[in-house]
Amino acid sequence: MKISDYLRADCCIMDVKATSMEGAIREIVLVMGKAAKIADTDKFISDLLERERLGSTGIGNNVAIPHSPTDSIEGFAIAFGRSSTGIDFRSLDGENVNLIFLMGTNPQELNLYLKLLAKLSKLLIEQSFRRELLSAVNAQQVIDIFRKYEAE
Amino acid sequence: MPIKNILVPLAGGPPSLITAKYAIYVAKTMAAKLTVVYVVNENVLQELLKSRIFVEIEARVYDRDLEEQGRLFLERVKKMAESKGVEFEGVLLRGVVHDEVINKARQINADLLVMGELKELLSRKEVFCDEGERIFRESPCAVVVVKNPPEVERLYKEL
Repeated sequence: MKISDYLRADCCIMDVKATSMEGAIREIVLVMGKAAKIADTDKFISDLLERERLGSTGIGNNVAIPHSPTDSIEGFAIAFGRSSTGIDFRSLDGENVNLIFLMGTNPQELNLYLKLLAKLSKLLIEQSFRRELLSAVNAQQVIDIFRKYEAE
Repeated sequence: MPIKNILVPLAGGPPSLITAKYAIYVAKTMAAKLTVVYVVNENVLQELLKSRIFVEIEARVYDRDLEEQGRLFLERVKKMAESKGVEFEGVLLRGVVHDEVINKARQINADLLVMGELKELLSRKEVFCDEGERIFRESPCAVVVVKNPPEVERLYKEL
């Protein structure tokens, strides 16, 4: 089970325009909605923001992983967004976020979702992984970086 | 050596149903008892809490949902087994998946373990870390890995 099997080039935004956490989540979900099977993007956005209210998904090292199970998705979906200016996610370390991994799942796919979240958290420990994602020039390169690190 | 005690670890979802169908087929053919285990993966929840991707309340909700899914899945497989006249026991466990499965195999003296298809290995590390690989390697009894879903469907229907 690989994240690179689920991450599609058309779900990678190399330059997120939004400057707020809510705006970034909305921007990424709207792009995701064109490629993934999301029946109700507004409901998904609302589920993600509800999760943020429990506690920030900005986990430090300029990374955020907004995530939520939701009935509005068929199966499992992941998107990547990169902000060059940085976004305030009220992160644990107080730093702005440049790398955003947004994940959603239908509740029926919980086991898969949890394993992929755990896998992503391990990949993100690697400073070189984060650095390469920050300097990737296009969406295909993002997927190639995932493939490379998932094979290690 | 007759096979009397078959153990099947299942994680839920469509691939697990194929594994369950094959295990029911084998149990029926051998007149064996079928024990199906679903393990709530507490390890993965702890990892996500530790890496701060989850907050406490969220982890508790996932834990509850996983347990409920496991219960429903075991109920579903029980109906399938009973409809084919196979003796069935469903067991819901919590903990580290491969540890719980191996312990259960020892506890019931399983003489066959039926498991779903192993995933493609991406790295050497996964040989040692993947739950399926570890169950396969550490099982105290013979292991059957289920393949070819269309053939499994055919065998199950013909029972």
